[in-house]
Amino acid sequence: MTALIELRDLRKDFSGVHVLKGISLSFRAGEIHGLLGENGAGKSTLIKILTGVYAPSSGEILMDGKPVTIHRPIDAHRAGLGAVYQDSELAGSFTVAENIVLGNEGGRLWINRKKIRRDAVDIMHQIGLDLDPDRRASTLTAAEMQMVTLATLFHRRYKMIILDEPTARLSAPETKMLFGLIARFREQGITIVYISHRLNEVKELCDRATILRDGMVSGTLERDEIDEDVVTQLMVNRSSAELDIGNAGMAREAVVLQLTGLATDRLRPLTLSVRAGEILGITGPLGAGMEQIERSLGGLGAYTGNITIDGLPHKLHSPSDARRAGIALIPEDRRKQALFPNLSLAENVSLPALGDLARLGLISNRSASSYAASVIERLGIYPDAPERPIRYFSGGNQQKAVIGKWLKRDARVYIFVEPTSGVDVGAIRQIYEIILGLAAAGAAVIVISTSVKELLALSETIAVIHHGAISAILPRENCTRDSLLAMTISAAVPAAVT
Amino acid sequence: MAGEASTVSAPVKTGAASTGLAMRLLRRWGTILVIVIVGLLFAKLSPYFASVSNFNNILFSMIVSALVSMGLTFVVAAGSFDLSVGVVVTTASIVTALLIPDIGVAGAIIGGIVTACVIGLINGLLVTYARLSGIVSTLGMMFVLDGINQFLTNGYQVPVDYSETAFMYIGQGRVGPIAFPVIILAVVFIIGHIVSTRSKIGHYIGAVGDNPMAAYYSGIVVYRWVIVAFVMSSLFAGIGGVILTSISSSAQPVGGEGYLLEAFAAVFLGATILGKGKPHLLGTLLGVFFLYMVSSGMNMVGFSFAARQLFNGLVLILAVGANALLNREEIHLKFI
Repeated sequence: MTALIELRDLRKDFSGVHVLKGISLSFRAGEIHGLLGENGAGKSTLIKILTGVYAPSSGEILMDGKPVTIHRPIDAHRAGLGAVYQDSELAGSFTVAENIVLGNEGGRLWINRKKIRRDAVDIMHQIGLDLDPDRRASTLTAAEMQMVTLATLFHRRYKMIILDEPTARLSAPETKMLFGLIARFREQGITIVYISHRLNEVKELCDRATILRDGMVSGTLERDEIDEDVVTQLMVNRSSAELDIGNAGMAREAVVLQLTGLATDRLRPLTLSVRAGEILGITGPLGAGMEQIERSLGGLGAYTGNITIDGLPHKLHSPSDARRAGIALIPEDRRKQALFPNLSLAENVSLPALGDLARLGLISNRSASSYAASVIERLGIYPDAPERPIRYFSGGNQQKAVIGKWLKRDARVYIFVEPTSGVDVGAIRQIYEIILGLAAAGAAVIVISTSVKELLALSETIAVIHHGAISAILPRENCTRDSLLAMTISAAVPAAVT
Repeated sequence: MAGEASTVSAPVKTGAASTGLAMRLLRRWGTILVIVIVGLLFAKLSPYFASVSNFNNILFSMIVSALVSMGLTFVVAAGSFDLSVGVVVTTASIVTALLIPDIGVAGAIIGGIVTACVIGLINGLLVTYARLSGIVSTLGMMFVLDGINQFLTNGYQVPVDYSETAFMYIGQGRVGPIAFPVIILAVVFIIGHIVSTRSKIGHYIGAVGDNPMAAYYSGIVVYRWVIVAFVMSSLFAGIGGVILTSISSSAQPVGGEGYLLEAFAAVFLGATILGKGKPHLLGTLLGVFFLYMVSSGMNMVGFSFAARQLFNGLVLILAVGANALLNREEIHLKFI
């Protein structure tokens, strides 16, 4: 088979930090190519380059042997490269059929609704998608939306489609349907790049798999070589020095957070407790249920079961309930969910504390800015420019500002979701120190992360979640990088640790 | 994979399927039901209300408003706002009246309508390539046009000579019992309805307004259709301006602004008709009809203007509010 896309020594720097350090890789026409790697290995940067979101710093992309320039999303679209992200893009008020052929109705001015429906049914038939073509897209489930989005790519005659964790939100039967769909795509000669943290999916589906590590290709495996031990070996980055930071064990006697039978529609009843000073690390494949814990505790989704903090039961129906209960949620998507990009650093930091800073209902500017100054100093936010809009700060300093929002309120429970995603390398250590400091001060801390390195650096206890249930929970000292990685990519718990 | 099949169930989105039949019927026909009930009420209270001549009167009085509202429907469907529609009526009206003595009726009509389209084009370019919000750019355009209207007229009305009988027929002619401009309205509505339901114009404007990202990734040139929506809006307002000039045999320097708020009321009321939840021309037309029917009915029964305004406002809030309740989303954080 010939290479459809060939990457030659692709590099990408972000302000001096090398994220991709020379990727050379080829995708063959009509293959399903798995892409594996730890968080921060460079997968998402690579996809963004292939879809035109980022331009590479150097290196070449060849398509059918000829160099192509992909600097904008529309370039990728024209070259026949498409991607499905987790938030699929459909027009909610349009029907399934209208969505599938959107942009490709044919004709000059007039549209023919019968033809739209016929074309869509034809495509659905070809790819084996069994749905009512006249249903409104807004009534579809997450899985159905994903599949309709795939169908929309089909008519666009893409040559290569990148799927980023497509099964994260799908149940097992839905995953099976999706795999059937992907197989049809391959039969049509379309190349699929399949990104996943789940090794069994990659084994089942992919013809080849490439493992990225630390911005480089650490190996490409043929189908029959894909094996847990080999993949783990290739994924773990032994060269990079371990962060000389760790959690010596700060847990006290008193239980702060107690979950009893916490369950959602995607989480099986879960009972666990976090003690004062304890940092519990939670990991697993994306969509395995970690986000359900975060949503329930943040008051963002319906749940059943009991949540007790310092012995007092709480019902968390909204984020303000969670705040009153003493839970601080530091979400992954800081820009959207935690910061006001155009407000200044000082305003962002002091916003949740305004109630405490106000006198007779009026905000005292002086106490607000002195509070901001204290946060900036305590968290080492750089540069020390309280009046500058927060969007001009780096990811790491934005993250510190989000943490700073909660300091005044003395939350009892801190929940960090991917605390160092998008954070520059230099600031990671500082953020770890802040998190450890919060635990040392007696708070219960939960760190939800897909980075094994991060969990080993921070946690006192580590829980692994698979398919909505804890598959292993064990003290940090019983984990090594290899064993933890093995536990996250396959549900099995290695005999050695149980 | 096999052993894991039973673990996690798919989240089920509560959609139309879970709401009862009564709710669905209410959603679809609720607004129309209100219109019919109010109509019957007026017919009972006033012997003159339910007559052909009154029906003709209502249609005649709503012509310009209906055209403006139908145009605005395209912009709202595209997900934007056009606050300049009302003033565009005045501008088109003035340009037409000013041009008639110089270049004749046909040229003047074309001139008025083309002027309106150019304004729409500028609005469209401002919200797309210049990246201004629809509210801001069309608000600015509203003031600019108001200024231009004053300059063009020096603040006086521009009369049209009574000898221009062909032009006067546009607004004042009759075909049997039906006023000629009502026929124009009907023709414009039918063409507009076909364009919005069967052409790429309506289809793509709807897609862009629903989910611009999806439209963009589908290879639709999003900017083009936003601009088209603004041109359609001004085009319809321009036609309204020409008819208004003919009806009143003159162009007034001010007064078009009044159509703006009526148009928004009609578009949002119309979006609830037939439970579509998004703007559509038929709904808008019925929305305008409702507003003018209430106006006429309350007038006949003897209510004051104040009471009419109060009633219209309450109906708008109730209809749109009831529709939103029947159409609940999980988290609601949009306040525009």
